[in-house]
Amino acid sequence: MDNNWLKKNTFHHSEFKDISRLVEEKIRKNLTIALCLPTLNEEKTIAKEIIIIKSELMTRYPLIDELVVVDSGSTDNTRKIAREYGAEVYKATDILPDIEAFKGKGENLWKALYITNSDIIVYLDADIKNIHHRFVYALVGPLILFDNIKFSKAFYDRPIATGTSKIRPTGGGRVTELVIRPLLSLFFPELTQIMQPLSGEYAGYREVFEKIPFPVGYGVETSMLLDIYEKWGLDVIAQVDLDRRVHRNQDTKALGKMAFVILKTFCNRIEKLGIVNLNKEIFDEMIQYNFVRNKYEPDIFKIKGVERPPIIEISEYRKKFNIM
Amino acid sequence: METYLDKLPSFVDAIKSIKETIIANIVFIGQVPAPTFNEKRRTSVFMDRLAEAQVDECSTDGYRNPIAIIRGTSQTKPPIFVVAHLDTPFDADIDHNFTIKENSIKGPGILDNSLGAGVLASLPEIFRKLNLCFESDIVLAGVIQSMGKGNLRGIRHLLKTWATPIRGAVCVEGVDLGRINYYSYGMIRGEIDCNIPAAKEWEHQFKPNAILILNEVINQILQLRLPQRPRSRVIIGKISGGFKHGTIAYDAKLCFEIQSDSDKMVKAIHNNIKDIVDGIGHESGVVLKIRTISNLRASKLKYDHPLVKSALAIMEKLDIQPINDPSESELSIFLSNNIPALTLGITNGENYHLKNASMEIEAMFKGIAQLIGVIMAIDSGICDG
Repeated sequence: MDNNWLKKNTFHHSEFKDISRLVEEKIRKNLTIALCLPTLNEEKTIAKEIIIIKSELMTRYPLIDELVVVDSGSTDNTRKIAREYGAEVYKATDILPDIEAFKGKGENLWKALYITNSDIIVYLDADIKNIHHRFVYALVGPLILFDNIKFSKAFYDRPIATGTSKIRPTGGGRVTELVIRPLLSLFFPELTQIMQPLSGEYAGYREVFEKIPFPVGYGVETSMLLDIYEKWGLDVIAQVDLDRRVHRNQDTKALGKMAFVILKTFCNRIEKLGIVNLNKEIFDEMIQYNFVRNKYEPDIFKIKGVERPPIIEISEYRKKFNIM
Repeated sequence: METYLDKLPSFVDAIKSIKETIIANIVFIGQVPAPTFNEKRRTSVFMDRLAEAQVDECSTDGYRNPIAIIRGTSQTKPPIFVVAHLDTPFDADIDHNFTIKENSIKGPGILDNSLGAGVLASLPEIFRKLNLCFESDIVLAGVIQSMGKGNLRGIRHLLKTWATPIRGAVCVEGVDLGRINYYSYGMIRGEIDCNIPAAKEWEHQFKPNAILILNEVINQILQLRLPQRPRSRVIIGKISGGFKHGTIAYDAKLCFEIQSDSDKMVKAIHNNIKDIVDGIGHESGVVLKIRTISNLRASKLKYDHPLVKSALAIMEKLDIQPINDPSESELSIFLSNNIPALTLGITNGENYHLKNASMEIEAMFKGIAQLIGVIMAIDSGICDG
C-alpha cells in the first residue's frame, strides 16, 4: 500500500492558526463558509460551541458566514439556548416539509445543505466539551489553502469525561478500532491511513456533499468517506490533527448499536460497489439482551437503513440553487 | 464626574453586545487548570488572549506574572493597575470544562477567579467597544501564586519591582456583585502539624491520637480571650488527618488564620497559639509543630477616601447594593504600598469553592460597567494628590 497520502495530506491544526491568512484567502477566492451543528438534547454543550465560534470566527475573524443548528426534536432547552446565543435554529422536520421526514444525524446534515447557502460546509458534533475554534479553522484550512482538497476530516486524542468530574486519558474510538478499521483493512486498505474515519467533525465543498447520498443515522460518516473515495479518490481528502476532544462516555451497549449501523452501512456500500455479493438480504434489527427479574429479555433496536439521495437530485434544492 | 457617571447605565447594554467575546475569554482562560504554583499554562492562554486583543504591550515580569499595557494619552500620569489572580484551588486532574446555559456558566474555579481573569482579558475589547481611551496607561496584570501558600507572591513581586509610581488600582474578583473591599485585616495564616511515630503492633492501643491532640489545641485556642477592640478573631479553617476508622491517628493537620485590624494583636494571638502548641507538645510527648504560611499587615483606605466615595456613587448609579467586607488579597499589598486600591466583585454566583460553582451571566454586564466606572474615576484624578 502506498502511504504517501498519509505524509502529504495529514496536517496539524497549528499549521492553520494564522486565521487572518485564511480569511484573506477566502476573500480572494470569493468563498463563503457555513457551520452546521446537528443536535438532539445538547443543552449542556451547545451554548459554548456557538459562543466560541461566534466570538472567534465571526466577530474577531470573519471566517464563518453562517452558523446553523439543525435539531432532531430535542426535548430539553437546546433550541432555546442556541437561539439565545444567536445561531439560526431549525427543526429538521420543518426543512423540506413536503418530503417524508426521518430522524437522525445524517438527516440533519443532509437538510443543512438545503438551508445554508455557502460554498463550504463544516459539520461539528454538538457534544464537544472542550470546544475550541481550531475545530473549525483547522478543518477549513486545507480546503481554502490547497486547491486539490475538497473534504477534510478531524482526528484527535479522545479522553473521556467520566461522571466524577475526572478525565480518563484513553478509551475513546472503540468502534473505530474494533469495527471500521478492520473492515477498511479488508476492503479499502488505502483508507486505513485515515486515523479516525468515524470522527463527527468534517468539512467539505458543497459541490462534493450535494452529489453523495446521506444515510439518515449514524452510518453517515462511513458512507460519506467511501462515497467520496470512490467518486473523487483519496487525494481530495485531508485529515487534520485537532489534538484533543473531550466527549461524553457511551456504554458498550450504545456503542454496539452504533457498530451495528456502521456495519450495515458498510455492507450495503460494498455490495453496491460490487465488491461482495450478499446472497440474502441482511436483517435490520440489532438484538441485545437484558437480565430482568431473573429472565433474559431481548432489547431490539431496529434500523431501517434509510438513505437520502444526493440532494442535487431534489427538485426544491435545484430550484433554490438555480441548477438546471 | 457627572459626565462618566451618566454614561454608565448605557455602558451595560454596550458591554452586553459583545458578550460572546467576554464569555469566550472566561471559558478559554478558566478551562485551563491553574492550581497555585502551576499557573504556567493559564498564563500563556491569558497572554494569547490579550495579544489577540491587540494591546500595546504584552509580556511577563521577572516572576512570570503576565502583564499587558494599554498606552494612555498622557506622558506624565502614572499608570492605573487592574489585577486579577490567575490561580484557583483546583487540581489539574479535575475536569475543568465549563457548561454554559442561558444565564449561567458552571465549572470549577469559575468564581475564584476565572471570571475575574476572563473579564480582565476582555477589557481591551470592551474599551474599544465603548470608545474609551485614558490619560493613564492601563496595566492589566494576571498575578500568579496568590492563594493559600502562594501568599500573594505574584503581586508582591510585581509591586516590588515596578519602578514608577502607581496612580490607583482595582482588584477584580468573581463574586459578589456589590462587593467593595477597601481595607484588609492584619493576618497570619498558619498550620499546626501533629506527628506521632508509627506504632509497633503491641503498643498500638496505648499511643496518643494525633486528632485528639489537635482537638486539645483547638479547645485551648477557643479559650483565648480575644478583644472586641481591636476586632480580632481566629478562624479554624481546615482539619485533616488519620488513616482509617479502626486505627489511632498518627498524623493530623490544622489550618488556621488569625485576623485583626491591629498587627500587634495578630502577633500577640500568634504568640499565644505558639505557647499552646509548645505546651501541649511538651506534655503529650508528641511532635507538634506550628508554622506560618503567609501573613499580611493591616491596611485600609478611609471610608471618605475619594476612591471609596466614587465607587459607591458608581454603584448607586448602576443600582448595585454595596457589600462592605475586609479582604485579604492583592488589595492588602497595594494598600500596604500606599497605593489607593479597591476590590470589586463582578457578578452573583453559587457554590463558591465547589466543582459545580456557577456564575450568573446577566448581572456580569453591570459588574463590568462598575469596574469601567472606577477605572474612569481614577483616570479623572480622584486619587491624585
